[in-house]
Amino acid sequence: MEFSFSSKYPFTSEAKQKVEGSSLELNDEIMERAVQRVVAALQGKVWKPVYLHPSDDLIDLGSYAAARMMLAHLRNRFLTNKFAVAEAKRAYKLMCEDSEENLGKLGRELGITPQEFEGKLALPVYQYASFSPRSVDYRLIFRNVKGGFVEVTRHEVIRLMEEAVKGRMESYKPLQNPPQIIRDYSKKLMVLVPKEAVLKMSFREGDNPPCIEKLLEGAKEHQNLNHQARLVLAIYLLARNVPVEKVQAIFSNLPDYEEKKTKYQLDHMIRRGYSMASCATLLSYGLCVADCRIGTPLRWKGKVEPWKKGNGSSS
Amino acid sequence: MEERERQFVLKRFSEHYRKADIRVPSVEQREFGIGGFDRKIEARHMEFGSDAALQNYLIRDTPLYISHSVAYYKFPKATPMENKGWMGGDLIFDLDVHAGLFLSREEQEKVRADALKLADDFLASDFGIKKQYMRMVFSGNRGYHIHVRDPAYRMLGGDARREISDYISGKGLNYRSFFPLSENKWRPEGPKESDWGYRGKLCRAVIKAINEDPSRIHRRLKKMEEAGLLKRGIKDGNWGSTSIKDIVDRIEPVAKDLPVQCIDVDTGVTIDTKRLIRVPNTLHGSTGLVAKELRSLDDFEPYRDATAFGAEPVKIVALQEIPSQEFLNSTMEKMEKGEGREAPLSYAMYLVLKGAARLS
Repeated sequence: MEFSFSSKYPFTSEAKQKVEGSSLELNDEIMERAVQRVVAALQGKVWKPVYLHPSDDLIDLGSYAAARMMLAHLRNRFLTNKFAVAEAKRAYKLMCEDSEENLGKLGRELGITPQEFEGKLALPVYQYASFSPRSVDYRLIFRNVKGGFVEVTRHEVIRLMEEAVKGRMESYKPLQNPPQIIRDYSKKLMVLVPKEAVLKMSFREGDNPPCIEKLLEGAKEHQNLNHQARLVLAIYLLARNVPVEKVQAIFSNLPDYEEKKTKYQLDHMIRRGYSMASCATLLSYGLCVADCRIGTPLRWKGKVEPWKKGNGSSS
Repeated sequence: MEERERQFVLKRFSEHYRKADIRVPSVEQREFGIGGFDRKIEARHMEFGSDAALQNYLIRDTPLYISHSVAYYKFPKATPMENKGWMGGDLIFDLDVHAGLFLSREEQEKVRADALKLADDFLASDFGIKKQYMRMVFSGNRGYHIHVRDPAYRMLGGDARREISDYISGKGLNYRSFFPLSENKWRPEGPKESDWGYRGKLCRAVIKAINEDPSRIHRRLKKMEEAGLLKRGIKDGNWGSTSIKDIVDRIEPVAKDLPVQCIDVDTGVTIDTKRLIRVPNTLHGSTGLVAKELRSLDDFEPYRDATAFGAEPVKIVALQEIPSQEFLNSTMEKMEKGEGREAPLSYAMYLVLKGAARLS
């Protein structure tokens, strides 16, 4: 016996229907498994459930749903992205060994429908461009393109499907009024998650408000940021728990960087606990570049607390 | 520009819009932005329920520039942008050349040839986009906009649009990678004429160059026998069929011409899914020319076919030296700085809006 299509690919509409049509209820067994599933993702492991009894199929499917609910409740971008990567990798492994029939079914669900064009396996350009991984090998310019199609191999189709799965799981709707069991296990999950992991943050574009992105870009380009700009950037990064060494490394890009002086100033800021300037202050500094309406840059994408109407000005 | 001139321009614009035919596909789902004498976009988040409402606005309130979103929205006037409800967007390509006061004949040809290359060799041939989904529009200034409304491409995000933009502009293209390296400089293997993508394009372009201007590659190719050898070889990917040992180096000028060079990729027109683009068949506020939708680029001459105000004589004074220029099927004589003269209204409007002349 093996897991059903729905359990193998729990992000599909078929899986969703199966859960909705079943009498499955969130219980401790499912929640425990959901927590394990997220923790495994954080550790970079691929979730490998054991199939012992037919009921395992539905329980495993339920654990996925419960994990997603916890992530939607926690609204933690780091955890969500780690989970998306792990689940997409899991799907990739399963797809590599799966039947053509299941691959076709999954492809249609994900919007990836390879077909034969002039005797070659090919994907429509718009599908290829939407899901191709960001690596040189997949750049459209190096590919064989004709008549609206891009030539691909079976393995490349699966790789694109993995990207599609990841993209699907990176987005979620915030969960309004989650059941108590989700709240309780979310707390348990956060206890199990290594603290430093949660504090990790990437500096991909879009992770920070436009004003901070602009300052980071300026630092990267060795621009001579003015005093206020440096102060704002440093306080923001420290408030986002970026290690002081990394902050120092960012400032080392500035043309008049002095290691000792910068270290002293950063230590001084930490000791004195400088607070983040408001968007209104940034506006007066001439550092505000967009109408984000978040009050302070630290509220970007609800990272600290959701923006409340009438609470502050733009960034 | 003085207030008197501004009023003159806007009055003429308004008169033009009374008899213009402005149609925007899915007008009610578009965001609009307007611009004036200071900025091309001074206000946005506007919406119009119909083409008639848009035209009434143009007659009554007459902006100098008007643009619509490439995107379709559920709520076009909602703010901030996230609240508009994005429902996809046209794929837009902006082609232009950097020119002086006027586009020279060569510049006009260059940008027109690139627009045709984009439509035929890339959008139709490579991306399979049917002509019925392409809308070719003179930008009203220095080039062309191509609006693609193929539903298949409508939901593409910014990254996917960047891939397409990079493909067309040849960003990162290295044609030498089509030739596997061997220990000898002799590289018999290479792309075939029937290959897809840039590989096939390169082959076809080299064969065309051999037929039309062989010395561009090597003068030895002027000989029928040598040219034939290479052409036959290229069909099968056998580039070693020629006696020209450094053939891969020699075809570099041909390879450089493969991408569309006039495409404006830096400003992100194609990539930005929330971009505003000039409304076709409206006036361009920097020239007074119509951003005219074109059935064909053949024989289109902007200074003859995109004028809007006729030839009624108007007195102007040159604010700079103005070279001689073909306009409205006539030759406009050179003007010295400070020189006054009567000029046809369309030409006068062009110069005034370019800041090269003032009304007398």
